[in-house]
Amino acid sequence: MAAWELLGLGAKGWGAFLLVAAVTTLAVTATALAIGAVAGAAIAAAKLSGSVILRVIGHVYTTVFRGVPELLIIYLIYFGGSSGLTAVGAWLGYDGFLGLPSFAAGALAVGIISGAYQAEVFRGAFHAIPRGELEAAMAIGMSRRLRLRRIIVPQVLRFAIPGLGNVWQLSLKDSALVSVTGLVELMRASQIASGSTRQYFLFYIVGGALYLILTSLSDRVFNTAERRANRSMSASTIGGA
Amino acid sequence: MDFAFLSSTMVTLIRAVPTTLVLFSLSILCGGILALGITALRVSGNPVLSGFAKAYIFVFRGSPLLIQMFLVFYGLGQFGVIRYSFLWPFLREPIVCAVLSLALCTAGYTAEIFRGGIRAVPAKEIEAARSVGMSGFLLVRRIIAPIAFRHALPAYSTEIVLMMKSTALASLVTVWEVTGVAQRLISQTYRTMEVFLCAALIYLVLNFIILQAMNLLEYSLSRHRRPFAPGLRA
Amino acid sequence: MPGVTRLSVRNLRKSFGTHEVLKGISMDAQDGDVISVLGASGSGKSTFLRCINLLETPSGGEVWVDGKQIRMLNGRGGSRPASRAQVDHIRSELGMVFQGFNLWSHMTILQNVIEGPLHVLKRPKAECIAVAEELLAKVGIADKRHAYPAHLSGGQQQRAAIARALAMKPKVMLFDEPTSALDPELVGEVLRVMRALAEEGMTMLVVTHEMSFARNVSNRVVFMRDGIVDSSGAPEDMFGAGASPAFRQFIGHFGNPQ
Ligand SMILES: Nc1ncnc2c1ncn2[C@@H]1O[C@H](COP(=O)(O)OP(=O)(O)OP(=O)(O)O)[C@@H](O)[C@H]1O
Ligand SMILES: [Mg+2]
Repeated sequence: MAAWELLGLGAKGWGAFLLVAAVTTLAVTATALAIGAVAGAAIAAAKLSGSVILRVIGHVYTTVFRGVPELLIIYLIYFGGSSGLTAVGAWLGYDGFLGLPSFAAGALAVGIISGAYQAEVFRGAFHAIPRGELEAAMAIGMSRRLRLRRIIVPQVLRFAIPGLGNVWQLSLKDSALVSVTGLVELMRASQIASGSTRQYFLFYIVGGALYLILTSLSDRVFNTAERRANRSMSASTIGGA
Repeated sequence: MDFAFLSSTMVTLIRAVPTTLVLFSLSILCGGILALGITALRVSGNPVLSGFAKAYIFVFRGSPLLIQMFLVFYGLGQFGVIRYSFLWPFLREPIVCAVLSLALCTAGYTAEIFRGGIRAVPAKEIEAARSVGMSGFLLVRRIIAPIAFRHALPAYSTEIVLMMKSTALASLVTVWEVTGVAQRLISQTYRTMEVFLCAALIYLVLNFIILQAMNLLEYSLSRHRRPFAPGLRA
Repeated sequence: MPGVTRLSVRNLRKSFGTHEVLKGISMDAQDGDVISVLGASGSGKSTFLRCINLLETPSGGEVWVDGKQIRMLNGRGGSRPASRAQVDHIRSELGMVFQGFNLWSHMTILQNVIEGPLHVLKRPKAECIAVAEELLAKVGIADKRHAYPAHLSGGQQQRAAIARALAMKPKVMLFDEPTSALDPELVGEVLRVMRALAEEGMTMLVVTHEMSFARNVSNRVVFMRDGIVDSSGAPEDMFGAGASPAFRQFIGHFGNPQ
């Protein structure tokens, strides 16, 4: 079969299979980014807090999850999560193996890793808020919660966009490792397609190209978002408001 | 805690450390050399050469290392030219494939880091060097490269730690380095947490050593920024 | 209500580590008082203002705002406010204008001005906007209400910051060198706004290096030196024969203000 037939969207082609897998990759990455945002915000808050214990916890989290191979963390969550689930199952009276769904395990693992990087992004963004603006918020009588909601979070989000763009790219590439759990995302799909057709070169090139499309498209999205968010900072929009 | 299990796991994992270190050092070395070449092309000013370098960087930074590694490991053997060439005995080896793809990938990231370092070299210092008659390779070797390297060092340290983590992927092309051995232990014993802790500790120690070494290097290269200390000689 | 004490500071002390910056400052502001606080750089003027609304925690002394004392606890690690809620409430009654404007850069000018009334005082939005527009017109930047701070000149930003503070209907306004960060040609527009406020009877505490303001607008001048009040009095006395030698030397650096 010619390459174009193999890649076609029809019954004999693998095109549709790969495209669906690319969507799965995006879904895993997006879920991971959301999980990571929650973890990252909590860890950043811990690292910025006055409590020594919380700061140490935050520091250990970022050191471990940025310093240990992603693959190892995926194993931890996938196998560890399944043993945990099986134990819970046994306790509830079900004796048999309970596997953590590979999508959940993958998104959780990549999310935990992404949380370590996002924590650093959020921390940097917090430090980028001019101190005077926080003092102005205090001086006007805003409570802690109100300052957080009205001044800190909006500014952190704005300053964090470029960093979050980098984390997204990182997680997108990390999501390829989730293939070891058997989840049919783009990497696993390329493996399946190339294994069944013996066209390794072709399908890994196509898979790689699809990843390139995903990374460059998301790059654009984040650049646009950054421009939008920084409208209030640039002088170029005078009169356009 | 089962210390007998932990220590036997630790011993098994430590036996795999040399493989990890071989993967790491070879790919850093080859990747570094390759990165120098790509950086040279990237800043050459020739649109074709720098276009090639840009494309290289885009491809290797924009796609996952795992797919690059599988492409090398499974894809190359598909071609008769390679299968029957004198290189095949090497390229057949999983560890060679792993090092090759690790090096190709890190070269893309490292080239960008080096380019950042070069852009940080003040134009005035280059002018000054030209004014004393330096040019070409001498100018690069004596002035641009040392300054650029100093600027690039912090980002390069980060990249090196990322590479240490990336060596784990070699286990997926059957190279038994630390993560691969850990995975095997997990599937044999189902004691995920203990095995993970041991393996994580190994990587954290390795990272720590690397970062200390890089800090030392950074320190020794930044004498010009420190206050003059009499009696301290290089 | 003239005669009402709006702000009262008793024996205020503040140390940073072993460095004692304020060594016992006392001061009262009656309703409508405009007090200029003068002093050399590093004499503790900013620290004094910041201790009043607890941007810095005083090491000792009392602060009373409109008859209510800010309750402090004295514990092992020094003193701290007894109730965060009270601090927030007192701060909402004190308007603060900073040297560096400190407008929230992610909000438009109008949003900056309505932020406090809307979210701290929880007033209805329509009312907040009406008040804000009136204030922006008063400080002369009504046309900039939908611009972001980064798009305004320093003088316009400072006037917006004054409007933001006024929107809280404060009992006392605190100014920390409001014109020091401005280009000379922009100083006048801010001083005019402050003068108008003074004439309306606003109680104001103004740290400044503008001798003409101290002399012509304020009804009391306080000269701080090394963390204490060196001398204070009516401007006519302070700038006249009654000046202390230290104050005389201090104003010597500024030439003779008119
Ligand atoms: N957060 C701080 N930590 C340590 N020392 C401080 C701090 N803030 C102020 N100081 C010190 O307190 C002293 C008084 O500072 P302050 O800012 O109150 O002076 P100032 O009178 O406002 O001076 P200027 O006219 O320059 O604004 C200075 O010696 C300063 O170094
Ligand atoms: Mg000051």
